[in-house]
Amino acid sequence: MNISRQHIYMLLLSLVLLTFVLIFSFAVLIPNGKEYRVKRADLKKEYRKLKQLNDFSDETSATLQKLQADHRHIITAFDTPFVVSRFEKQHRGFFSSLKLSKLEKKENEDGFSVYEVNTTSEINSPKSFYKFLDAVNKSDWIVAINFPITFKRDSEMINSSFTMKVYSNNKDVKISSENNSHSELDSESKQKN
Amino acid sequence: MRYSYIKPAPKTALSKDMQLLFTFFSVTLFMLFLTYGFLLFRDYRFEQNRAELIQEEQDFRVSIEEMKSKIAKIEEQNILSERVFTKNIVLKDSIHNLFDLVPARITLSKAEIMQNGLVLYGITPNKDIYNFMLQAPLRSIFHRTYSSFYPLKNGWFSFVSTNYIDEESNDEY
Repeated sequence: MNISRQHIYMLLLSLVLLTFVLIFSFAVLIPNGKEYRVKRADLKKEYRKLKQLNDFSDETSATLQKLQADHRHIITAFDTPFVVSRFEKQHRGFFSSLKLSKLEKKENEDGFSVYEVNTTSEINSPKSFYKFLDAVNKSDWIVAINFPITFKRDSEMINSSFTMKVYSNNKDVKISSENNSHSELDSESKQKN
Repeated sequence: MRYSYIKPAPKTALSKDMQLLFTFFSVTLFMLFLTYGFLLFRDYRFEQNRAELIQEEQDFRVSIEEMKSKIAKIEEQNILSERVFTKNIVLKDSIHNLFDLVPARITLSKAEIMQNGLVLYGITPNKDIYNFMLQAPLRSIFHRTYSSFYPLKNGWFSFVSTNYIDEESNDEY
Protein backbone atom coordinates (compact mmCIF):
# COMPACT_ATOMS: atom_id res chain seq x y z
CA MET A 1 0.00 0.00 0.00
CA ASN A 2 1.52 3.22 -1.07
CA ILE A 3 0.40 6.22 1.09
CA SER A 4 2.16 9.45 0.54
CA ARG A 5 3.62 11.41 3.41
CA GLN A 6 1.30 14.34 2.63
CA HIS A 7 -1.70 12.11 3.06
CA ILE A 8 -0.39 10.88 6.38
CA TYR A 9 0.03 14.47 7.60
CA MET A 10 -3.46 15.27 6.43
CA LEU A 11 -4.89 12.27 8.21
CA LEU A 12 -3.07 13.16 11.42
CA LEU A 13 -4.23 16.78 11.23
CA SER A 14 -7.79 15.65 10.61
CA LEU A 15 -7.62 13.33 13.60
CA VAL A 16 -6.21 16.06 15.85
CA LEU A 17 -8.83 18.59 14.77
CA LEU A 18 -11.64 16.06 15.05
CA THR A 19 -10.49 15.11 18.54
CA PHE A 20 -10.41 18.79 19.49
CA VAL A 21 -13.90 19.30 18.08
CA LEU A 22 -15.23 16.29 19.94
CA ILE A 23 -13.55 17.17 23.23
CA PHE A 24 -14.64 20.82 22.95
CA SER A 25 -18.20 19.81 22.15
CA PHE A 26 -18.60 17.20 24.87
CA ALA A 27 -16.53 18.88 27.58
CA VAL A 28 -17.54 22.51 27.06
CA LEU A 29 -20.46 23.09 24.72
CA ILE A 30 -22.88 20.39 25.80
CA PRO A 31 -22.54 21.10 29.59
CA ASN A 32 -22.82 24.82 28.88
CA GLY A 33 -25.88 24.21 26.74
CA LYS A 34 -27.50 22.18 29.48
CA GLU A 35 -26.69 24.89 31.99
CA TYR A 36 -28.17 27.46 29.60
CA ARG A 37 -31.45 25.51 29.42
CA VAL A 38 -31.60 25.17 33.21
CA LYS A 39 -30.89 28.87 33.68
CA ARG A 40 -33.50 29.81 31.09
CA ALA A 41 -36.08 27.69 32.92
CA ASP A 42 -35.05 29.25 36.25
CA LEU A 43 -35.33 32.72 34.80
CA LYS A 44 -38.82 31.95 33.49
CA LYS A 45 -39.75 30.76 36.97
CA GLU A 46 -38.35 33.98 38.44
CA TYR A 47 -40.39 36.02 35.94
CA ARG A 48 -43.54 34.12 36.90
CA LYS A 49 -42.77 34.71 40.58
CA LEU A 50 -42.18 38.40 39.89
CA LYS A 51 -45.47 38.61 38.03
CA GLN A 52 -47.27 36.99 40.94
CA LEU A 53 -45.60 39.46 43.31
CA ASN A 54 -46.53 42.30 40.99
CA ASP A 55 -50.17 41.16 40.92
CA PHE A 56 -50.20 40.80 44.69
CA SER A 57 -48.61 44.22 45.06
CA ASP A 58 -51.31 45.70 42.80
CA GLU A 59 -54.03 43.99 44.85
CA THR A 60 -52.53 45.21 48.12
CA SER A 61 -52.15 48.70 46.71
CA ALA A 62 -55.81 48.70 45.59
CA THR A 63 -56.89 47.52 49.06
CA LEU A 64 -54.78 50.21 50.70
CA GLN A 65 -56.14 52.93 48.43
CA LYS A 66 -59.71 51.80 49.07
CA LEU A 67 -59.11 51.78 52.82
CA GLN A 68 -57.46 55.20 52.66
CA ALA A 69 -60.37 56.58 50.66
CA ASP A 70 -63.02 55.00 52.89
CA HIS A 71 -61.39 56.09 56.16
CA ARG A 72 -59.88 59.39 55.12
CA HIS A 73 -61.53 61.23 58.01
CA ILE A 74 -60.23 58.78 60.61
CA ILE A 75 -56.68 58.71 59.18
CA THR A 76 -56.52 62.49 59.11
CA ALA A 77 -58.01 62.71 62.59
CA PHE A 78 -55.28 60.47 64.04
CA ASP A 79 -52.57 62.55 62.36
CA THR A 80 -53.94 65.94 63.34
CA PRO A 81 -52.33 67.41 66.46
CA PHE A 82 -54.91 68.44 69.02
CA VAL A 83 -55.20 72.19 69.27
CA VAL A 84 -57.11 73.31 72.35
CA SER A 85 -58.18 76.67 70.96
CA ARG A 86 -59.35 75.12 67.70
CA PHE A 87 -61.45 72.55 69.54
CA GLU A 88 -62.96 75.30 71.67
CA LYS A 89 -63.71 77.35 68.58
CA GLN A 90 -65.38 74.44 66.80
CA HIS A 91 -67.54 73.34 69.73
CA ARG A 92 -68.23 76.62 71.49
CA GLY A 93 -71.62 76.81 69.81
CA PHE A 94 -72.99 73.96 71.88
CA PHE A 95 -72.14 75.60 75.20
CA SER A 96 -72.59 78.95 76.86
CA SER A 97 -68.99 78.63 77.88
CA LEU A 98 -66.37 75.99 77.23
CA LYS A 99 -62.96 75.74 78.83
CA LEU A 100 -60.36 73.08 78.27
CA SER A 101 -57.41 72.56 80.57
CA LYS A 102 -53.93 71.76 79.32
CA LEU A 103 -53.40 68.44 77.58
CA GLU A 104 -51.77 65.73 79.62
CA LYS A 105 -50.03 62.79 78.04
CA LYS A 106 -51.36 59.48 79.32
CA GLU A 107 -49.99 55.99 78.85
CA ASN A 108 -50.20 54.58 75.36
CA GLU A 109 -53.34 52.62 74.61
CA ASP A 110 -53.47 49.96 71.89
CA GLY A 111 -50.34 51.47 70.35
CA PHE A 112 -51.79 54.98 70.17
CA SER A 113 -50.84 58.07 72.14
CA VAL A 114 -53.56 59.24 74.48
CA TYR A 115 -53.90 62.75 75.81
CA GLU A 116 -56.36 63.67 78.52
CA VAL A 117 -58.00 67.03 78.79
CA ASN A 118 -60.33 68.29 81.50
CA THR A 119 -63.32 70.23 80.28
CA THR A 120 -65.67 72.58 82.09
CA SER A 121 -68.67 74.00 80.34
CA GLU A 122 -72.01 75.67 80.80
CA ILE A 123 -75.14 74.53 78.99
CA ASN A 124 -78.70 75.69 79.12
CA SER A 125 -80.20 72.32 78.21
CA PRO A 126 -78.99 68.70 78.11
CA LYS A 127 -79.90 68.73 74.41
CA SER A 128 -76.86 70.91 73.76
CA PHE A 129 -74.73 68.26 75.37
CA TYR A 130 -76.25 65.55 73.15
CA LYS A 131 -75.52 67.67 70.09
CA PHE A 132 -71.97 68.16 71.34
CA LEU A 133 -71.52 64.39 71.67
CA ASP A 134 -72.75 63.92 68.10
CA ALA A 135 -70.41 66.65 66.87
CA VAL A 136 -67.41 65.19 68.69
CA ASN A 137 -67.68 62.05 66.54
CA LYS A 138 -67.39 64.19 63.43
CA SER A 139 -64.65 66.47 64.70
CA ASP A 140 -61.08 66.74 63.42
CA TRP A 141 -59.75 64.47 66.17
CA ILE A 142 -60.60 61.11 67.72
CA VAL A 143 -62.06 62.20 71.02
CA ALA A 144 -63.65 59.97 73.64
CA ILE A 145 -65.74 61.55 76.37
CA ASN A 146 -64.86 59.94 79.65
CA PHE A 147 -66.40 59.34 83.02
CA PRO A 148 -66.93 60.89 85.49
CA ILE A 149 -69.32 63.45 84.07
CA THR A 150 -70.83 65.92 86.47
CA PHE A 151 -73.85 68.12 85.83
CA LYS A 152 -74.60 70.79 88.39
CA ARG A 153 -77.53 73.17 88.27
CA ASP A 154 -76.62 76.81 88.67
CA SER A 155 -79.86 78.85 88.47
CA GLU A 156 -80.96 78.53 84.80
CA MET A 157 -77.69 77.02 83.59
CA ILE A 158 -76.10 73.62 84.01
CA ASN A 159 -72.39 73.43 84.74
CA SER A 160 -70.87 70.30 83.33
CA SER A 161 -67.40 68.92 83.79
CA PHE A 162 -65.87 65.87 82.21
CA THR A 163 -62.62 64.54 80.84
CA MET A 164 -61.89 63.79 77.23
CA LYS A 165 -59.35 61.39 75.80
CA VAL A 166 -57.73 62.45 72.55
CA TYR A 167 -56.17 59.63 70.51
CA SER A 168 -53.39 60.19 68.04
CA ASN A 169 -50.77 58.15 66.22
CA ASN A 170 -47.99 56.89 68.42
CA LYS A 171 -45.30 59.37 67.52
CA ASP A 172 -43.87 62.45 69.08
CA VAL A 173 -46.88 64.67 68.76
CA LYS A 174 -46.23 68.31 69.37
CA ILE A 175 -48.76 69.24 72.01
CA SER A 176 -50.24 72.54 71.08
CA SER A 177 -50.87 75.08 73.72
CA GLU A 178 -53.08 78.09 73.22
CA ASN A 179 -50.11 80.33 72.45
CA ASN A 180 -48.87 78.43 69.44
CA SER A 181 -52.22 77.19 68.25
CA HIS A 182 -52.71 80.04 65.81
CA SER A 183 -49.36 79.53 64.15
CA GLU A 184 -50.13 75.82 63.76
CA LEU A 185 -53.49 76.62 62.28
CA ASP A 186 -51.79 78.98 59.85
CA SER A 187 -49.28 76.35 58.80
CA GLU A 188 -52.04 73.77 58.36
CA SER A 189 -54.07 76.08 56.18
CA LYS A 190 -50.94 76.82 54.12
CA GLN A 191 -50.37 73.10 53.66
CA LYS A 192 -53.96 72.62 52.52
CA ASN A 193 -53.56 75.45 50.04
CA MET B 1 16.40 19.67 -23.03
CA ARG B 2 12.95 18.60 -21.97
CA TYR B 3 12.39 15.11 -20.59
CA SER B 4 8.58 15.38 -20.18
CA TYR B 5 5.77 16.48 -22.43
CA ILE B 6 3.62 17.86 -19.59
CA LYS B 7 4.10 21.11 -17.78
CA PRO B 8 5.16 20.53 -14.13
CA ALA B 9 2.63 21.76 -11.61
CA PRO B 10 4.11 23.94 -8.88
CA LYS B 11 4.19 22.10 -5.50
CA THR B 12 2.56 24.02 -2.65
CA ALA B 13 2.19 23.17 1.02
CA LEU B 14 -1.60 23.68 0.71
CA SER B 15 -2.81 21.13 -1.68
CA LYS B 16 -6.45 21.10 -2.72
CA ASP B 17 -7.17 18.37 -0.20
CA MET B 18 -5.57 20.38 2.56
CA GLN B 19 -7.53 23.48 1.55
CA LEU B 20 -10.74 21.48 1.68
CA LEU B 21 -9.76 20.09 5.06
CA PHE B 22 -8.92 23.51 6.45
CA THR B 23 -12.12 25.01 5.10
CA PHE B 24 -14.18 22.24 6.65
CA PHE B 25 -12.52 22.52 10.07
CA SER B 26 -12.46 26.31 9.95
CA VAL B 27 -16.21 26.39 9.41
CA THR B 28 -16.72 23.74 12.11
CA LEU B 29 -14.52 25.53 14.61
CA PHE B 30 -16.05 28.89 13.77
CA MET B 31 -19.52 27.50 14.43
CA LEU B 32 -18.38 25.87 17.66
CA PHE B 33 -16.80 29.05 18.97
CA LEU B 34 -19.77 31.07 17.85
CA THR B 35 -22.07 28.77 19.80
CA TYR B 36 -19.76 28.96 22.79
CA GLY B 37 -19.67 32.76 22.54
CA PHE B 38 -23.45 32.83 22.31
CA LEU B 39 -23.71 30.64 25.41
CA LEU B 40 -21.27 32.84 27.31
CA PHE B 41 -23.18 35.98 26.31
CA ARG B 42 -26.53 34.45 27.27
CA ASP B 43 -25.03 33.32 30.57
CA TYR B 44 -23.87 36.87 31.26
CA ARG B 45 -27.32 38.25 30.32
CA PHE B 46 -29.04 35.67 32.53
CA GLU B 47 -26.93 36.73 35.47
CA GLN B 48 -27.75 40.37 34.77
CA ASN B 49 -31.49 39.66 34.43
CA ARG B 50 -31.43 37.50 37.52
CA ALA B 51 -29.81 40.26 39.57
CA GLU B 52 -32.38 42.76 38.25
CA LEU B 53 -35.22 40.35 39.02
CA ILE B 54 -33.95 39.75 42.55
CA GLN B 55 -33.70 43.50 43.09
CA GLU B 56 -37.21 44.06 41.71
CA GLU B 57 -38.52 41.19 43.84
CA GLN B 58 -36.88 42.71 46.89
CA ASP B 59 -38.40 46.12 46.08
CA PHE B 60 -41.84 44.54 45.65
CA ARG B 61 -41.52 42.70 48.96
CA VAL B 62 -40.48 45.87 50.78
CA SER B 63 -43.31 47.82 49.19
CA ILE B 64 -45.85 45.06 49.99
CA GLU B 65 -44.65 44.95 53.62
CA GLU B 66 -45.00 48.73 53.87
CA MET B 67 -48.50 48.60 52.40
CA LYS B 68 -49.46 45.73 54.71
CA SER B 69 -48.27 47.65 57.76
CA LYS B 70 -50.22 50.71 56.55
CA ILE B 71 -53.34 48.55 56.09
CA ALA B 72 -52.90 47.08 59.57
CA LYS B 73 -52.48 50.60 60.99
CA ILE B 74 -55.62 51.86 59.25
CA GLU B 75 -57.59 48.84 60.44
CA GLU B 76 -56.35 49.43 63.98
CA GLN B 77 -57.29 53.10 63.74
CA ASN B 78 -60.68 52.15 62.35
CA ILE B 79 -61.37 49.68 65.17
CA LEU B 80 -60.30 52.16 67.82
CA SER B 81 -62.27 55.04 66.33
CA GLU B 82 -65.37 52.86 65.97
CA ARG B 83 -64.98 51.92 69.63
CA VAL B 84 -64.63 55.56 70.63
CA PHE B 85 -67.59 56.67 68.49
CA THR B 86 -69.77 53.86 69.86
CA LYS B 87 -68.73 54.77 73.41
CA ASN B 88 -69.71 58.39 72.81
CA ILE B 89 -73.08 57.38 71.37
CA VAL B 90 -73.74 54.98 74.27
CA LEU B 91 -72.78 57.77 76.67
CA LYS B 92 -75.18 60.15 74.97
CA ASP B 93 -78.00 57.59 75.16
CA SER B 94 -77.21 56.88 78.83
CA ILE B 95 -77.37 60.57 79.74
CA HIS B 96 -80.52 60.95 77.65
CA ASN B 97 -82.13 58.00 79.44
CA LEU B 98 -81.06 59.35 82.82
CA PHE B 99 -82.67 62.73 82.29
CA ASP B 100 -85.78 61.06 80.86
CA LEU B 101 -85.96 58.94 83.99
CA VAL B 102 -86.31 61.91 86.30
CA PRO B 103 -90.00 62.81 86.73
CA ALA B 104 -91.12 66.41 86.33
CA ARG B 105 -91.99 66.75 90.01
CA ILE B 106 -88.46 65.96 91.12
CA THR B 107 -85.79 68.58 90.49
CA LEU B 108 -82.18 67.56 90.18
CA SER B 109 -79.49 69.91 91.44
CA LYS B 110 -76.49 67.75 90.60
CA ALA B 111 -75.77 64.50 88.82
CA GLU B 112 -72.48 62.62 88.85
CA ILE B 113 -72.24 59.90 86.22
CA MET B 114 -69.42 57.46 86.82
CA GLN B 115 -68.23 54.30 85.12
CA ASN B 116 -70.07 52.04 87.54
CA GLY B 117 -72.39 54.38 89.31
CA LEU B 118 -74.61 57.38 89.46
CA VAL B 119 -75.05 59.93 92.23
CA LEU B 120 -78.06 62.20 92.05
CA TYR B 121 -78.71 65.25 94.22
CA GLY B 122 -82.08 66.97 94.14
CA ILE B 123 -85.32 67.91 95.82
CA THR B 124 -88.60 66.03 95.95
CA PRO B 125 -92.01 67.13 97.29
CA ASN B 126 -92.20 63.95 99.38
CA LYS B 127 -90.49 60.62 99.83
CA ASP B 128 -93.25 58.63 98.13
CA ILE B 129 -92.88 60.47 94.86
CA TYR B 130 -89.14 59.84 95.00
CA ASN B 131 -89.57 56.17 95.96
CA PHE B 132 -92.15 55.34 93.30
CA MET B 133 -91.11 57.58 90.48
CA LEU B 134 -87.33 57.66 90.70
CA GLN B 135 -85.99 55.03 93.04
CA ALA B 136 -88.04 52.18 91.50
CA PRO B 137 -86.61 52.62 87.98
CA LEU B 138 -83.14 53.22 89.40
CA ARG B 139 -83.38 49.94 91.33
CA SER B 140 -84.17 48.10 88.11
CA ILE B 141 -81.01 49.47 86.52
CA PHE B 142 -78.48 49.44 89.37
CA HIS B 143 -77.53 46.60 91.72
CA ARG B 144 -77.14 48.75 94.82
CA THR B 145 -79.15 51.89 95.51
CA TYR B 146 -78.85 54.03 98.61
CA SER B 147 -80.96 57.10 99.36
CA SER B 148 -80.65 59.78 102.00
CA PHE B 149 -83.25 62.47 102.70
CA TYR B 150 -82.85 65.84 104.37
CA PRO B 151 -86.03 67.79 105.23
CA LEU B 152 -86.23 71.34 103.92
CA LYS B 153 -88.00 74.32 105.48
CA ASN B 154 -90.81 74.31 102.89
CA GLY B 155 -91.72 70.69 103.67
CA TRP B 156 -89.91 69.24 100.66
CA PHE B 157 -86.98 66.87 100.94
CA SER B 158 -83.50 67.19 99.67
CA PHE B 159 -82.17 63.78 98.62
CA VAL B 160 -78.94 62.10 97.66
CA SER B 161 -79.32 58.94 95.61
CA THR B 162 -76.23 56.77 95.24
CA ASN B 163 -76.45 53.91 92.77
CA TYR B 164 -73.87 51.33 91.78
CA ILE B 165 -73.55 48.54 89.26
CA ASP B 166 -71.40 45.67 90.52
CA GLU B 167 -68.09 45.40 88.73
CA GLU B 168 -68.53 41.76 87.61
CA SER B 169 -71.87 42.35 85.94
CA ASN B 170 -70.64 45.57 84.42
CA ASP B 171 -67.89 43.67 82.63
CA GLU B 172 -70.49 41.63 80.83
CA TYR B 173 -71.85 44.65 78.99
